[in-house]
Amino acid sequence: MIKVAQVSKSYQRKLVLDDVSLEVPKGQIFGLLGPNGAGKTTLIRILNQMASPDAGSVSFDGQLLSERHLPLIGYLPEERGLYKNMAVRAHLLFLAQLRGLNKTTAAQNVDQWLQHFDIQDWQNKRIATLSKGMAQKVQFIAALVHQPQLLILDEPLSGFDPLNVELIMNEIKALKAQGTTIILSTHNMKSVDEICDHAALLHQGQILAQDTVQNLRRTHAKGRIFVRFRGHMLSFANALWTDFTLLEQKETEAGLFDCVLQIRGERSVNDLMRSLQDHVAVEHIELLLPSMQEVFVDLITQKENQDV
Amino acid sequence: MSKFLLLTQREIQERLGQKGFWYMLVLGPIVVLLLLVALLKAADQGKQELSVLIADPGQIMDHRLMAQEEKNIHYYFLDDYLELNEFERGKAYQEFDVLVELNEKVLNNKKCFVFYRDQLGLDARIQLKFQVERRLEELIASQHSNLSEQAFRQIKQGIIFDFRDLQDPKNEAKEANAWAGFVLGAFILFFVGLYGMTIFRATVREKSNRIVEVLLASVRPQQLMLSKIVGIGLVALLQLFGWVLLLALGFVLLRQTLFLDVLDPSNWGQGGPERLNPLSTLVFEQLNLSFLFLHFVVFFAASFLFYGALFAVLGARSGADADGQQFLLPLIFLVSFGIFAGIYAIYYPHTLLSQIFAYLPFSAPVLALISLAKGVSLAVYTKILLSLLVLVVSALLLLKLAGRWYKNSILKF
Repeated sequence: MIKVAQVSKSYQRKLVLDDVSLEVPKGQIFGLLGPNGAGKTTLIRILNQMASPDAGSVSFDGQLLSERHLPLIGYLPEERGLYKNMAVRAHLLFLAQLRGLNKTTAAQNVDQWLQHFDIQDWQNKRIATLSKGMAQKVQFIAALVHQPQLLILDEPLSGFDPLNVELIMNEIKALKAQGTTIILSTHNMKSVDEICDHAALLHQGQILAQDTVQNLRRTHAKGRIFVRFRGHMLSFANALWTDFTLLEQKETEAGLFDCVLQIRGERSVNDLMRSLQDHVAVEHIELLLPSMQEVFVDLITQKENQDV
Repeated sequence: MSKFLLLTQREIQERLGQKGFWYMLVLGPIVVLLLLVALLKAADQGKQELSVLIADPGQIMDHRLMAQEEKNIHYYFLDDYLELNEFERGKAYQEFDVLVELNEKVLNNKKCFVFYRDQLGLDARIQLKFQVERRLEELIASQHSNLSEQAFRQIKQGIIFDFRDLQDPKNEAKEANAWAGFVLGAFILFFVGLYGMTIFRATVREKSNRIVEVLLASVRPQQLMLSKIVGIGLVALLQLFGWVLLLALGFVLLRQTLFLDVLDPSNWGQGGPERLNPLSTLVFEQLNLSFLFLHFVVFFAASFLFYGALFAVLGARSGADADGQQFLLPLIFLVSFGIFAGIYAIYYPHTLLSQIFAYLPFSAPVLALISLAKGVSLAVYTKILLSLLVLVVSALLLLKLAGRWYKNSILKF
């Protein structure tokens, strides 16, 4: 859907994006991750054509990204604003029309979304009278009221209470189910674990890693195994021998234990199962994958160590 | 609807939705009218005492003026030609402050010269001109037509009074008309400054509340800037039209109440009006209002584009550190400069500086309207059109440049 090829961008001689290349597959949720100042906002602005790259190119569905693609893109910026004196419905109509919808379609879509979020009562309220959460919802609707093919969400969950976080997460999933491609820039790694299919980590203007979320987690797996068994703890410990280190143990009910092990050397989950089979009754065994939070920290730490 | 129109429409709706706009629309003209009335009343108090010698070799005026003469101006008649040098230096003429030179063909060529020793106040000029002109009109109407003076005044051509300084007799007139043109030009700059600040504030607001990030995902920065200038400019123009309409209405009311026309027989017997109506004479008879208004609108539009671009760029540059705001003061000075250039040009219309000011985009509107109000020849009008062209081209160049500055600044927080 989106292909960023060797894009570089500088501001006042400072290199903000350095030869960045990435691909956002169609119909997927793509997590754009990175610490503050990594260049995410600049990349997003290039995708929205608010800035142009100094070098490289961006293509949209195989065509060079241009102004005619703007109506196909929805954007929810991190720093959000609305005209405080405008009424909710009038504001949404205005933004929908700016995105290229005619007045009739814009009105239909706005009404549909107000109804969808059950906020028809707000339509004549001035933005200034809305709470922060209410205004966030209006902004979220504004980003997708024109039914974009590509939706760019920059920190979409910030400012929402847990209930509304859930609501927005479900909306994002529903949009994906309808075929919308979504780029999600966030610091909320839990949401990345939960809803992103692909992710790229940007650090100091460079892509450190990009892949499917599953592959990224697998690549950074630390060889930890979760085991639930019935039997004696002593038998279990003896069976591990020197190939596995017991990191955590917890007896959840009489004779039922949850443990976390660290693989040593070249051993695998199968080796562990073979070692345990004559000593305890294994109920559940699973290779533990790191969370995206851990992957993120791991990658940044590695990079910084390299730089040092 | 195109994005540009949509943005412009939003700007207009926002301004029209503000109570301040409507208050200003109504209160502005009322304040101006009250000031004008106060000005005229005040002028009645401290009038310049003048002795005026009218050199009338053809005895056209028959040694008299209108019945209702001003008490502060004393007229004397001389039935002969008088050399300028003699009037200036001759002992017998030192008591006179002003010489009105009526040639024998004044009724046909409708031009007379007025020489003065010391600068004449605006009120004195208007009174003098009014008195002499009315008498001449009376004569023309009675001698050359069967029309009443009132009917004649509806169709007459104005008499040109050429006020000249005795010390500089070749100098051209600095008439009340020039001041009227100055007021119109100053109005342009006043509104440009007022609504330029609105552009500045609107841009700063959009930037600080970050709506600009949403807007720029749909429109180009230049489009956003231009729509703001045009939208707010149209609102300013609407307010100006409102002012003009209300002021015109006010003038009509003043003319029918405070400043009655004594030459209109229907006003006779209503008790003496406080004074003749030089103000309405100036406004309704000596100024070509439709011609002036047309140029007023054109110069306003061009000036607004010019200054609007500068105000928008400053707004875009103003971030949390408010560095752009530091440039506001010089910009306001530039607006004020136009007004001072206008005053300078009224007193010294033929200096090189006045010629330069006429082509400078900052001062061109004021100087053009001064010239237009005085009445222009084809050559002068060509110069005014040239100054308009310079202003328009400067505005377009500045808009292009400002668009680039605006783009580079608006997303820097």
